[in-house]
Amino acid sequence: MKIGKIVGRITMNHKLDAYKGGRFFLVIPQSRADLESDTPVDVPKGNSSVVFDDLGADIGDSIAFSEGGEACMAFCDDTPVDAYNCMILDKLNYTPPPARNSL
Amino acid sequence: MLLARVDGSATATIRHPSAKGWKLAVCQPIDEEGNDIGVPLIALDDLGAGLHQRVIISSDGDTLRKWVHDPKSPLRNMITHLVDEACAPTGDPA
Repeated sequence: MKIGKIVGRITMNHKLDAYKGGRFFLVIPQSRADLESDTPVDVPKGNSSVVFDDLGADIGDSIAFSEGGEACMAFCDDTPVDAYNCMILDKLNYTPPPARNSL
Repeated sequence: MLLARVDGSATATIRHPSAKGWKLAVCQPIDEEGNDIGVPLIALDDLGAGLHQRVIISSDGDTLRKWVHDPKSPLRNMITHLVDEACAPTGDPA
């Protein structure tokens, strides 16, 4: 599961019934550089994902979301979902060792 | 399966029911020399990996769903091994 920061909300008039009770958020996957910097991400940069959420997350929250086949496992019917919010992260104790030659 | 280094831990009060009670580790996939590859991942930790310890994480959601006893779990990554030593072949391949 990748770590992501919610930067936007997506609303729509028409959607499949299977999506009822959930929301869609615009999420930026967090890299090591993003996690190490203290400045909050205001403006989406790089590629963002649309993540389905039924846990009640909001803008500004850090979440862990899974992508791929696992994202649509939580639904009763066959529902096309690419990214699913698995958990809302309260606290992240992130202390990587000093950077070497990052790829 | 990915070779990774544990770079921290995470806490989450609100989580999918299938993830209840599991420890969460922030894992950075690395190459054989310890260089970072890609973005850090959150993985379930059943083995009690320590900080900066090298581990192997699985991205097999199918087995993970059996492990957490929930056929509808959206979780994906889990620490499956604690690495003692990772050896890479040195020199040019013949």
